Amino acid sequence: MRFAIALLVFVPVGGVFGLWPLPRSLQTGTTALKLAPDFDIHMNVLHAPSDLSDAVARTKSHLKNDKLGRVVVGRGSSDSSVIQHAKSLASLHVSLTKGATVRSITEEARLAIETRSEGYSLTIPSDGSAATLTANSTLGLYRGLTTFEQLWYQWSGNLYTIEAPVTITDAPAYPWRGFMLDTSRNFFSVSDIKRTLDAMTMVKMSQFHWHVSDSQSFPLEVPGYTELASKGAYDPSMIYSPSDVKDIVDYAGARGIDVVVEIDTPGHTSIISAAHPEHIACPIASPWSDFAAEPPSGQLRLASASTTNFTAGLLSAVAKMFPSTIMSTGGDEVNANCYEQDAETQADLKATGRTLEQALDVFTQHTHGAIIAEGKTPAVWEEMVLDHNITLSNETIVLVWISSANAAAVAEKNFRLVHGPSDYFYLDCGAGEWIGKDVGNSWCDPFKTWQKAYTFDPQANISESQAHLVLGGEQLLWAEQSGPENLDPIVWPRAATSAEVFWSGPGGDSNEALPRLHDIAFRMRQRGIQAIQLQPMWCALRPGLCNIDS
Amino acid sequence: MSTGDSPSILKLSSDLDIHVRFANPPPDLRAAIMRTQSRLFSDSFQPLVLGRGSADTDQLKNAPALVSLELMLVSGRPARSIVEETNVAIEAKSEAYSLSLRDGNNSAILSANSTLGLFRGLATFEQLWYDYQGIKYTLNGDMKIDDEPAFPYRGFSFDTARNFYPVSDILRTLDAMSWVKLSVLYWHIIDSQSFPLEVKAFPELSEKGAYSANEIYTEDDVQLIVQYANERGIDVVMELDSPGHTTAIGAAHPEHIACASKSPWSKYASEPPAGQLRIASPTTLAFAKTFFASVASNLPGKMMSSGGDEVNLLCWEEDDETQADLAQRNITISDALNQFVETVQGVIAAHDKTPFIKSDMVLTHNVPVLNDTVVVVWQTSEDAAAVAERQLRFIHQPSNYFYLDCGAGDWLGNNIAGNSWCDPFKTWQRAYSFNPYANLTLEQRPLVLGGQMPLWSEQSSSENLDSIIWPRLAAAAEVFWTGATLPDGTSRLGKNATSGTRALARLNELRYRLVDRGVKAIALQPKWCVLRPGECDLDS
Repeated sequence: MRFAIALLVFVPVGGVFGLWPLPRSLQTGTTALKLAPDFDIHMNVLHAPSDLSDAVARTKSHLKNDKLGRVVVGRGSSDSSVIQHAKSLASLHVSLTKGATVRSITEEARLAIETRSEGYSLTIPSDGSAATLTANSTLGLYRGLTTFEQLWYQWSGNLYTIEAPVTITDAPAYPWRGFMLDTSRNFFSVSDIKRTLDAMTMVKMSQFHWHVSDSQSFPLEVPGYTELASKGAYDPSMIYSPSDVKDIVDYAGARGIDVVVEIDTPGHTSIISAAHPEHIACPIASPWSDFAAEPPSGQLRLASASTTNFTAGLLSAVAKMFPSTIMSTGGDEVNANCYEQDAETQADLKATGRTLEQALDVFTQHTHGAIIAEGKTPAVWEEMVLDHNITLSNETIVLVWISSANAAAVAEKNFRLVHGPSDYFYLDCGAGEWIGKDVGNSWCDPFKTWQKAYTFDPQANISESQAHLVLGGEQLLWAEQSGPENLDPIVWPRAATSAEVFWSGPGGDSNEALPRLHDIAFRMRQRGIQAIQLQPMWCALRPGLCNIDS
Repeated sequence: MSTGDSPSILKLSSDLDIHVRFANPPPDLRAAIMRTQSRLFSDSFQPLVLGRGSADTDQLKNAPALVSLELMLVSGRPARSIVEETNVAIEAKSEAYSLSLRDGNNSAILSANSTLGLFRGLATFEQLWYDYQGIKYTLNGDMKIDDEPAFPYRGFSFDTARNFYPVSDILRTLDAMSWVKLSVLYWHIIDSQSFPLEVKAFPELSEKGAYSANEIYTEDDVQLIVQYANERGIDVVMELDSPGHTTAIGAAHPEHIACASKSPWSKYASEPPAGQLRIASPTTLAFAKTFFASVASNLPGKMMSSGGDEVNLLCWEEDDETQADLAQRNITISDALNQFVETVQGVIAAHDKTPFIKSDMVLTHNVPVLNDTVVVVWQTSEDAAAVAERQLRFIHQPSNYFYLDCGAGDWLGNNIAGNSWCDPFKTWQRAYSFNPYANLTLEQRPLVLGGQMPLWSEQSSSENLDSIIWPRLAAAAEVFWTGATLPDGTSRLGKNATSGTRALARLNELRYRLVDRGVKAIALQPKWCVLRPGECDLDS
């Protein structure tokens, strides 16, 4: 049901300047209202969990420190007289609906993806009487606080809105609103990841898909398998320790974000050979282009019982580090030639009488079995269901990446899916080729603009009866040409685009969206996130005047 | 350059003395030496190989130590300041130097004809050293370098009008520019969107035309930036783009602007907002004269630009005041344009500066210009030959090779499917492949002063400044310093030029050095590739 209402009608635009993503139902007025100097948030939640109290404290801190002027000419100077005469809002009352179970935000954010409750109602009267925020869960309250923060602007010491009264009833169209970060091609520090989580939660994202390892480096310290990082990380300073992981996962959870870790297998594993050469076929074989999609080549020896056991053990150990109910085993770009040329794999296949496809099936069932035993739902890249004939649990979540056109085929197979299509959502495209001697453009040229991402239709070519299979989507940063140096500018505010597509539903008008996207980018910059400018500031301050036809 | 037959390890003595062997070294040279001295020991860049510096531990134990670097001016040369040497005419700059690491016992010698040459040599010297556990060393201890630039003009063009950049961003950029021996900051300081330059004669221009009071380069800021640049061997060419790209002047002086913010903008300008100086108006001409003079009189450099790109004739055709002025004076719009350019070029020349102008003024509008004008060729690299035909000197800034902003999509609203007009992204490989002499005759070659990569800031600002320019800008710095031939005599270009073992290896190294010094240059490859030069080539 939740997914069937995706094609909602957008509210007419009268302002709602700062709201991103746009609430599903929103009424605003034209009255100015300011926050009283002693404005406070009153929590009427018995036994409020500490992460909710912390969230309220953060909201108060953001209200105080954002210091964002309205993104219009004069930055609010023209509002001074209405501010002067505006009524003051003294309090926001936060409460759960009667009978709601009190759980922490963190717990709510880690529930099975289709059972989460993120809806909320927010009412801000224009007469100065108390504003109210209600929800069925602390996670819903948290989303509502995020909305509340986006309503206020500063001018000469006052925080105000010119759109009271405000009435919002809101809930996401899709539960998976994600961002994927590759920390293997180049490393990102814990603080980079936390700052990214800060930005994600500003736009109500729910999933941090962490592509933690790949062929180039293995930066995750896994208990029982510490040699993988000690030999496979770029540097001892470029390792995520178990306490780093806990730090990140807790930080995310308190911000309503579930962390889905991905250990990509059986391809994209060359670096495991640094510690375990016995498990890797065709490591750093030449020419790499015969053996892998990019250098260095190297894949887990999936036909080997010992490698299968090793992988299952590794995945199970990683699963224990991450509280999410979902974990990805990857599965993209498996190269058959690598295995055909690998004598050990050929011997194993011969001994077991299996074809390569059968061996992949056995391998996957084994590794998936290991994480299912840890209580995880497996997620895989699309090739696992579209290119390979293997048995997967019906619960498996499929990540569509090669092309948006492939989502329908995944739905046809009755798998739940997450959209991450390279033709809409790849944040790294368009920066040229990174392979030496190649002077070409990036394989997924051109750059995926926010406008392109904004046109994405999650239900395109998917039948009504399969509509419920679409869990949502995510924008992705593959890090061949990225690092801490350009993380913020390459991700923000573009990644906010899909956050709105999957919260508010598709069909938004990019013309209407642009001023709001400017607004959230301005607010991000106020909070120390280096979001890029989408236009000259002249245009940002004058919505509509820099359209192609204005 | 020669590096000896076999690797010869040499470390820096921790009390390395950089010694000036001539009388009265200017303070800016002494300051440059102190910066070098400080960076030699604060840099923590390790060699980009597997294991980083650990591979060299054994050799390091018994390595000889360099105890001094001796700076010498070729005898008889006056010790003028770096600032003075930087502000000489572009064709007269003396940037050559010689560096010999083990000339004599444990002393290195750096010699040049000028302090500017010594400064370039110091930039080279800084790039020679790796760190391993606090020890600074090189594997090329026998290195001898004789160096000078192929072209004197090696620039970066910077737009601070579409979005504003704080002074600290510009200073950091100047530092990084000096590390790759760039010689010019071409400062596109104002445009139609904002006017962030404080002008003594017309303070209202920035008061009303800047994005905010905090987004203005005051006279002091400009002085500081120019001085900082000059001390680093970088000349500042300020561009007052005119008569187009001037809408922001209208905030204070609406009487000087035709078709201000007129709709639809696409009929009147190449991007919003529309607006151009009323070139036919004697009052506006007088204003332009005072405006240029006021700015020029505060700049020490020998070059200044009046821009001149993307003039829109319809804007003036539909402007009643302009039409009235033309009728009254009985001149055509092209007469007026010629007169405008003659006027502002006259002011620039009167301040002892060489005028620069954008190529469309010459090629599209056939505006007569002063003989010593330097033309900025921007629309396409193909235009260079046409400018050369006119016997005008020029610099290369072609959008099809050098525009740093291309490829990030269209920034106009309501243009969902649009790519940037100069799509695709200009990769470092593309910039590196540029041939400054393409389609020119031998006789025309002296007309090429050099070139520059520009950053137009519609989609850029402080947030992505470093990452959008570095290390790509360094590719062009090498095109115009190194020229066509590498030190070993081979061609700089050729089919393997961008291999991980050739230019890419050095560019990766530079990128890591930039990051080490706090400049947020982007990764060109996964670190796995960087540590294994050549293993991520197309055919490896």
